[in-house]
Amino acid sequence: MASASSLAASLDPGTSPEEVHRAELSEIDASTKAPALFFLISAVLWLLVGTATALIASIKMHTPDFLGDYEWLTFGRMRTVHLNAVIYGWSVNASFAVAFWLMARLARSVLRHPGFLFVAGAAWNIGVTIGLIGITVGHSTSIEWLEFPPYATPLLFVAYALIGAWAIITFRFGKSKHIYVSQWYILAALFWFPWLYSIAQIMLIFEPARGTVQALVNWWFAHNVLGLWFTPIALGAVYYFLPKVLGRPIHSYYLSVLGFWSLAFFYNWAGVHHLIGGPVPAWVQTAGIAASFMMVVPVVVVAINHHMTMIGNFGALRYSPTLRFIVFGAVSYTLASLQGSSMAIRSWAEVTHFTHYTVGHSHLGMYAFFSMVMFGSVYYIMPRLVLKEWPSATLISAHFWTTSVGVVVYVLALSVGGVRQGLAMNDVDNYPVFLQIVEMTKQYLFTRSLAGVLMTVGHLAFAVNFTWMLLKRRPADSTVPTLFRNPPAMEVSR
Amino acid sequence: MDWFFYAVALPVAALFLASAVYALVWASKNGQLRDFERGAESIFDEAEPIGQPTDSFPSKSAPSVTARRNS
Repeated sequence: MASASSLAASLDPGTSPEEVHRAELSEIDASTKAPALFFLISAVLWLLVGTATALIASIKMHTPDFLGDYEWLTFGRMRTVHLNAVIYGWSVNASFAVAFWLMARLARSVLRHPGFLFVAGAAWNIGVTIGLIGITVGHSTSIEWLEFPPYATPLLFVAYALIGAWAIITFRFGKSKHIYVSQWYILAALFWFPWLYSIAQIMLIFEPARGTVQALVNWWFAHNVLGLWFTPIALGAVYYFLPKVLGRPIHSYYLSVLGFWSLAFFYNWAGVHHLIGGPVPAWVQTAGIAASFMMVVPVVVVAINHHMTMIGNFGALRYSPTLRFIVFGAVSYTLASLQGSSMAIRSWAEVTHFTHYTVGHSHLGMYAFFSMVMFGSVYYIMPRLVLKEWPSATLISAHFWTTSVGVVVYVLALSVGGVRQGLAMNDVDNYPVFLQIVEMTKQYLFTRSLAGVLMTVGHLAFAVNFTWMLLKRRPADSTVPTLFRNPPAMEVSR
Repeated sequence: MDWFFYAVALPVAALFLASAVYALVWASKNGQLRDFERGAESIFDEAEPIGQPTDSFPSKSAPSVTARRNS
């Protein structure tokens, strides 16, 4: 099958190969424009919803009277809306946009019939909207990470199936002979997620498993969504943008392949570490701990690889917004993963489990790693989609510094507070008084709210810059450094 | 419903494992696990060659890698 740059094929046979190649790239980027923009705009909107609900939930933790008079704004609902808005709204939409843009580029394949992706994207976002409204009015299923009421989820599944199929088609008709490591990660993620989601839906919502099996399935799902969906998407992005921005190939391609296959092998069992000390068979817990520790292999492999690629080029962080976010994310990936492995140690889990420490850990993973990588990717992709430069460098800097300082403060406050909370609750010899421990943690929760305000400022800067970029007119001479310099005659009008 | 669970779960698990093995065998036969140098360089081309940074803050341009090394 021809992979189809019709534009390239239509050029004069005497045109130089380089110009044909540029025409082809321009056409590939143009074909991804409409669906990628749709997913990115949805992602930014959900990010704002998720941020607002996060602030409300966070303030309620230390000032319970805040907005306490409305039942739909109670903590149980706001916290859940926050989680689902940032996971299924912001993170998944951003993943779709980044994954499709990368897939089309790396496979050298024009995105066919993007209309279907619109249908899928619309279905996904309608599903998320219905689900969030359902939670707000009190229809949450109370199963962590699967709180969307059952009437919202079939729509999500159909949307996802369409999107997965489209990625396979893009890959199948690709012209590139070589599969770059990012494609391995993205294809695997697209293949794993529907499997996780459908099994979890069936075994927890439609035909619920009984007893402790329910908890096992729940954590198998919730942890694998992180490890087998968000992690590979973000790592795929890092493996593309880090060398691409620097203009320097990845240190060791061998290590990157090793990292991918070891992640695929070990991650699946790691979720059980959420049930250490719980009423599940001891051998299952031990297997979960072993898998959590085997995860050190892919994590260290990836960390070495990224660090060796960066080494000698740290000066580039001054010049590239994408690189700042991506490097921050990659470092956070190493920290979050090693912290995660350590939390699987039985004696340490006794202290940190059921405390704020776990919340800090999950934000180190989903925010400091995943979201920062997505921000960096958006900074790279957007100028190439709309052929315009970002309007304000100041807003980009503001976004970076507020979110990075914010999340560091957030994680530190909850880690220290969580350990103190855990040690105090375990101190049974001195008859701990629960309410005193709650009072003790209030200072950390207040610090968390301050960090949340910082991150909110960053998200607003990002949203303003994003909207401004969409609305501003394209300058006549748009050959700024971050854009491809396509000869105007060969640019697909968009 | 135990039998239902096993009847669904075991074939699904077997299928999943088989697909992973298939992917690995395919990758190996297709030469994806050979010539790693070329793999790492496959994201660069004449339009965006190695040694040329491709991102910078708006209205600031990044010096090329070699220029930065020499400075």
